[in-house]
Amino acid sequence: MAGYVVRRLLTAVPVLFGVTLITFLLMHFTAGNYVPGLQLDPNLKPSDIARIRANLGLDRPLVVQYLDWIGIGALFKAVGLAGVLGGSHNIDPGILEGNFGRSLIDGSPVLASVLGRLPNTLELTATAIVVGLALAVPVGVVSALRRGSRLDQFLTAASVAGFAVPQFWLGLLLILLFSVEFHAWGLPWLPSSGAVSPLGGGGVVDRLQHLALPATVLAFFYLSSWSRFVRSSMIETLSQDYVRTARAKGMSERRTVYVHALRNAVAPLVTLIGLELPGLVSGALVVEVVFGWPGIGLLAFQRALQYDYTTVMGITTFAAVLVVLGNLLADVLYAVIDPRVRYS
Amino acid sequence: MPATAGPVIVTREETRDPEWDGRRAEVGINVPDESAEQLRRFPAAWSRREFLRRLGGTAAVAALGAGTMGFLEACGSGGTPTTSATPRKGGHVTEGWAFDIKTFNPILSQDVYSNLCIGVCLDSLLTSKANGELMPLLAEAMPKVSADGQTYTFKLRQDVKWTDGTPLTSDDVLFTYDLIFAPEYAAVASPRRGDFTQHVAAISAPDPYTFVVQTKSPYAPFLATHAQYGILPKHVLGNLPAAAINTADFNSAPTVTSGPFKFVRWDKGSQVVFTRNPDYYRGAPRLDSFVYKVVPDTVAVANQLKTGEIDAGQISPSQVASLQTEPGLTLTSFVVPQFEFYMYQLDPTKPAGQIFQEQAVRQALLYAIDRPGIVKTVLFGQGQVANSVEPPTSWAYNPNTRPTYPYDPRKAGQLLDQAGWVKGPDGVRAKGGRRLEFTLQYATGDPVLKSVAQVMQQDWQAIGVKMTPQEIQFSQLVTLITDTRTFDLILVGFNFSQDPDQSQLFSSSGTERGGFNGFDFKNAQVDQLLNQAATTLDQSKRKQLYFQYQDIMAAQVPAPVLYFLKRTYGVSKRVQGYGYGPFNQYGQRPWLKDVWVTDGK
Repeated sequence: MAGYVVRRLLTAVPVLFGVTLITFLLMHFTAGNYVPGLQLDPNLKPSDIARIRANLGLDRPLVVQYLDWIGIGALFKAVGLAGVLGGSHNIDPGILEGNFGRSLIDGSPVLASVLGRLPNTLELTATAIVVGLALAVPVGVVSALRRGSRLDQFLTAASVAGFAVPQFWLGLLLILLFSVEFHAWGLPWLPSSGAVSPLGGGGVVDRLQHLALPATVLAFFYLSSWSRFVRSSMIETLSQDYVRTARAKGMSERRTVYVHALRNAVAPLVTLIGLELPGLVSGALVVEVVFGWPGIGLLAFQRALQYDYTTVMGITTFAAVLVVLGNLLADVLYAVIDPRVRYS
Repeated sequence: MPATAGPVIVTREETRDPEWDGRRAEVGINVPDESAEQLRRFPAAWSRREFLRRLGGTAAVAALGAGTMGFLEACGSGGTPTTSATPRKGGHVTEGWAFDIKTFNPILSQDVYSNLCIGVCLDSLLTSKANGELMPLLAEAMPKVSADGQTYTFKLRQDVKWTDGTPLTSDDVLFTYDLIFAPEYAAVASPRRGDFTQHVAAISAPDPYTFVVQTKSPYAPFLATHAQYGILPKHVLGNLPAAAINTADFNSAPTVTSGPFKFVRWDKGSQVVFTRNPDYYRGAPRLDSFVYKVVPDTVAVANQLKTGEIDAGQISPSQVASLQTEPGLTLTSFVVPQFEFYMYQLDPTKPAGQIFQEQAVRQALLYAIDRPGIVKTVLFGQGQVANSVEPPTSWAYNPNTRPTYPYDPRKAGQLLDQAGWVKGPDGVRAKGGRRLEFTLQYATGDPVLKSVAQVMQQDWQAIGVKMTPQEIQFSQLVTLITDTRTFDLILVGFNFSQDPDQSQLFSSSGTERGGFNGFDFKNAQVDQLLNQAATTLDQSKRKQLYFQYQDIMAAQVPAPVLYFLKRTYGVSKRVQGYGYGPFNQYGQRPWLKDVWVTDGK
């Protein structure tokens, strides 16, 4: 197992390298000669643009910028080869040294911005995953037990809808109903954006009120996909020989379904959830944008619109690392849950 | 802080209504919230338009437009308290905007949202009234100008203290301006240095309450352009090396300030919170707190005005109608110096330049555009057809500029006929083998510009001109204007500041690489007038020069302004004394300290 994990981690290196390279090139080719953070102001002389680009290190060849960003520059400097990379700009540690650089927009450290947004994102996604899961299992089981019934058909239709309805649309609909219209009707209403009230907010009730709508949208998505999975897995398990044997031995239906069948049916779900682990951090972009939820997704979105290369690249790299780790974790978990799986 | 005298390409970050700011979007992709917005307004805009087209009637148009006519035209007035009730102390106001700010450093800031928050807590030498007239703030009075028009002497108020108790003196002012002037601060990533050093010869602080600026030559836009930056505390930032200024903690958390409100916190992406500065030298503000709240988009601004989550905000044109009937809101609307215009390629070495060099063609194309129709249907009435390059908000604006270009497709056709452009078998006009066929480029992602481009396409098709609209990335559009310049026509939004100088856009000096006269307009008379006006300090003389200038520009139409925009703001009725105007909202707000809330909450 340990050897397997090490091998997997080693193969992740080129993947991450590729991700950083592609992100870097995409950002640079999209932005062109645009100076991030500057509006286009004719008072801005070409000398200003040149000076600011030089300050940001954007005047150097792309290769040098890239190597500097990932931190090879600092390695070179350490072994006395700094001159190779051009001396006009300070050579700072890069992501290899754990330094994601500073935002081109507000000059703040990228990693600190990302980590600062992490709790908000986790609050949202974890809630959605827990709620989604807590509802998906019973919904899936009921559907499976009453396969073909009106209820099953309704739940199937609902989950197809949950899958098909765009999150932004559902989000806007909920805002319109539970914030705007409820307010207009004089009913208790929910706040439509943000994670806390700007003044005097931050209490548990305040947070829950803000959490309700975005978490619902996200949970609905998870519920839709996982309940389908539980349903089919349950149907398959119920047709297994051991279930028939259990019934033949006179075991109660309740015990057969909920102890013998359910445990086996739900086990593969763990893998599925493992695959969602990166989604804990990156999966809520659309919902965060619609609800102005100050998480990592919103940060990535806002900064991409401002050509803030370093922040976007930092978030992408951060997310890529999580995807790699999430996949690995899912594979390992699979072996833990199902002893028949062996890695060699 | 209208920090620039010249025109400004308006980006997504800019002042204007973000709803139709997609094209100015720094990236023009149709992002989820934007497309959601389009879902809501686009069909509405188009069904209306199509409906009117089919009706062919002006009555319906008039009815649609009438809704917006009753608004208070607040332009030119100062703060307008809406009741005479006795002001009370306490409570808060939350203002909602669809964009987060970027920095609290006035020297680095280049976007209006940052400027707005800077203005709440950092005062400047001068500031603007609603109509764009300058007024003293940290300065005791307007600066004394020497006889040769090159030396400005500012006398500072002696009762101003930073929130940590240190007096604010000319040392702080000198330090702030040194950041964009002194060679040792060249590494400060300020966008203002180029212009400042181009015009300024020396700055000095001869005594603690005197600050002197000497310009290289008389330069009329100087005060409007450079006297409205928030002043920075030298005793906090003075020890930092130049490069460290760019990333100073102060930029995100200004703990020592001078304005009516003190900084409390900036939750990035969510809100900026301020609290009353009880020792403010112009008198303590009435409000306990002021909140700048970042909301997801312009639909959210309207929604949250309805729910009361925000007390004030700019309403996008498509939302105005739905908020007019909202009982708890007061709507105010005024024309702003923001506009959409299109540039004709005038460089004769380029194919389109050959076509557009002909004045008759430029004029005919403008006659053929149904601009009143665009304002009524695409802008939901939130605009005013332009009859001059100067905005109606400017003191230099001539309402009687001639010629004007009312919608007149027949006249357009006649002009082209007279000029020898005759329709070919496919209905497209041609002359000497050259066809009236070209491309109009605009930044992707803005439903309004897209609609405008489509109207232009149809209107021009009606007179035998084939135009193809083409969307490109905003960053590429900028390169096209300032650098490569290989376009036929460009449709773009711009923003004029309070000074009427338009040299950067229309003087031939702007045709140099990096300049904004990317359409290659060169007119010796215009150059001479703009230059003379910029170096004349007497406002009435300047005005005469700009009147002449406007007439020439109206005849030449190198880059016709289609319309100037109207902005509508919604303010909760519990809030009193909100002084929104075209020039006193995105910077120091001299009226903010007098704002109060009727419920004291």
